[in-house]
Amino acid sequence: MNVEIYILPALILTLLIYALIKKIPSYTSFAEGAKAALKLCADIFPYIAAVFICVQLFKASGLSRWLSSALAPAFDLMGIPPELCELILIRPFSGNASLALLSEIYKTYGTDSYVARCASTIAGSSDTVFYITAVYFAGTKVKRFRYAIPVALLANLFSAILACLIVRFF
Amino acid sequence: MNKIWTIVSIASIAILLWIDPGNIVAHMNNAAAGTVSLMIRLLPLYAVWMGMMGIAERSGLTEKLARLLRPSIKFLFGEVDERTSRFLSINMSANILGIGSAATPAGISAIACMDKGGEVATDAMIMLTVLNSVGMQLIPSATIISLRQAFDSAAPFDIIIPTLIATVIPLIFSVAAVKILQAKVKR
Repeated sequence: MNVEIYILPALILTLLIYALIKKIPSYTSFAEGAKAALKLCADIFPYIAAVFICVQLFKASGLSRWLSSALAPAFDLMGIPPELCELILIRPFSGNASLALLSEIYKTYGTDSYVARCASTIAGSSDTVFYITAVYFAGTKVKRFRYAIPVALLANLFSAILACLIVRFF
Repeated sequence: MNKIWTIVSIASIAILLWIDPGNIVAHMNNAAAGTVSLMIRLLPLYAVWMGMMGIAERSGLTEKLARLLRPSIKFLFGEVDERTSRFLSINMSANILGIGSAATPAGISAIACMDKGGEVATDAMIMLTVLNSVGMQLIPSATIISLRQAFDSAAPFDIIIPTLIATVIPLIFSVAAVKILQAKVKR
């Protein structure tokens, strides 16, 4: 699996060599590209803060735990263990919060338990629906996302069901 | 987005007023502080990848990539202009490779290119949002594998194939769903 660590450096090296062959000013181009990073962070910051504040209140109030136990029977019918409900609820909002939950699951149930392997697969195969939507549209006036969020949430739920099913065979 | 945010916040604050009123504002401040530290962690990553993208752009490499991916971009997003398709191709390639910090700036730029100032998301915008929020990483997440290693897993790599399957099938499902909804729901 060590091949992985060479992928990104190889990519960057190829890019720089290609730029050299094409005789373009790499240093200036890099700086010009990187310059936009600060503005980008400033643009998306308020939207991420809004999402994170909501998630923090959601978790601190115990609402997420309550909602998880309320949804547990429904999730159970779909083959998702109740231990994973909170992870599935938090995952669309924040990558960091779900990694924190993932560590908790590792600690509580053991890294190689069925629940923990399901949790790893769920965290790896889904993404942060609300976070992405907030960040991507931060610079626009778009307010109506039509069917974007329902489809993305359903696909992530489908992915979680699939994950809990497949993990049994590996 | 506005509705969900407001409802979840009101419900949570109402409960907190009951169980722990002293810490409500502290929770909000902590979350904002957490966002600042996330931004501080993201800024250098964005700087590196956006710098690299600057080189790729100037050397004409993104144009080549966009030409290479044109059929799939056309299939997924319909007709988009040259600049948008360049950002879309970077976004998709970076996602597949699992470089989230390169995918995000490219995705934001693609949305900015497609934005005409309207309040309703276009079909192409929705496709991009859905693709990104469903996850299309084909090289499994190093973050999760290293977390498993950190927690002394005996087989940290066991989740790679399940993760791949649980990524690809929902991805196909959601592309199909978006395509069907595009045809059915006319604005």
